[in-house]
Amino acid sequence: MKADGKRLGDRLASAALWTTAVATIAGITHIASILAMPRLAPNDAFARMGRLAPLHQTTPLVAAAPFDDPALAQAVCRYDLSRAPTRLRAALSPDALVTLSFNARYGEIFYSMTDRSATRGRLDVLLLTRAQLDRVEQEDSEDELPQELRIVSPTLEGFVLVRSLAERVGERDDARRRVASVACGPDGATARK
Amino acid sequence: MLLVFKSVFAAALGAALGLGATYLAVDRGLAFGTTQIGPWKGQTRTGGRDVDPYTLAARARNGSTPLGPGEGLAFLADRDDDGRRLESRCDYAVIGDTPAARFWTLSILNPDGSAPALPLDQPWFTSSELVRGAQGDFSIAVAARARPGNWLPAPKDAPFVLQLRLYDTPASAATGSLAAAGMPSIRRGRCE
Repeated sequence: MKADGKRLGDRLASAALWTTAVATIAGITHIASILAMPRLAPNDAFARMGRLAPLHQTTPLVAAAPFDDPALAQAVCRYDLSRAPTRLRAALSPDALVTLSFNARYGEIFYSMTDRSATRGRLDVLLLTRAQLDRVEQEDSEDELPQELRIVSPTLEGFVLVRSLAERVGERDDARRRVASVACGPDGATARK
Repeated sequence: MLLVFKSVFAAALGAALGLGATYLAVDRGLAFGTTQIGPWKGQTRTGGRDVDPYTLAARARNGSTPLGPGEGLAFLADRDDDGRRLESRCDYAVIGDTPAARFWTLSILNPDGSAPALPLDQPWFTSSELVRGAQGDFSIAVAARARPGNWLPAPKDAPFVLQLRLYDTPASAATGSLAAAGMPSIRRGRCE
């Protein structure tokens, strides 16, 4: 009887040990796979943009991503900062909604804005790395504030989404024209200097 | 020998459970930073630098490109005010007002986020197209058959969700300001 009790205790202890082991492995696998997902997912937004758009060229997006707003026209500018900063420029009309979101390589939106934050109806964004920003700031003149908005990208590659609202059905072409009018490319001035 | 077998089994079982949990979390869109205001669920931290790993994982898998916090806010509803799932056999009225925003849109999507197949109709509404009441409030009919006034065409025999997007809004991700500002309610009308 006593021996039976001891054996039952042993078996329970062993079962508890194995359960703990399984739970620990499950937990580690779960956390590791969640964290690895942005780096492993074959069909994330960055990969999709890579198939749809060439580098440094504002490209209209025709097919919608899940949960996109059908009332918007969208375009993408893929960038690669390894050679030079990327500059985005556009003349904006005062009433129409234009928004920009800056997406890093692994899904992080590191900056976003609307046309309201543009100065004097002009959009002028310089997208650069931390090192490029340091270089640009060294060349800044002391008594003049920079006219452009400078944004540091956490990764060398990424993409900028430009969206504009078609307020009414008949205004879809206007919205498409607005997003297509945003020029994007390697910054010539900085590259020359 | 038994110990080796048990260890391998435990490792395999643990890995399977862990990956299963990941699949469920990512596929069901279990994400933190979700705010619920009435029937509306808002992913108020999808963008920005404080985005959580579950949201990033789900986004990497479905390839979506959500709004950044500086662009606006997006809310989804798959249930009405009383918590009943939205059904295409029922009529709904989206009533009330939205938090302050320069523009907003209300659109119909399939539950997986894709656009519904409605070849002739436009399954979205913008704030500019809206006809408002005397007090500035509005009512949008969500129904499969055409309605007079503000009408948002719903699919005939398919489940759907509603998406409300606020563009250029001072309402921030801080939930308090949004709840106070008031989101529209979704009332169920007649069902067939």
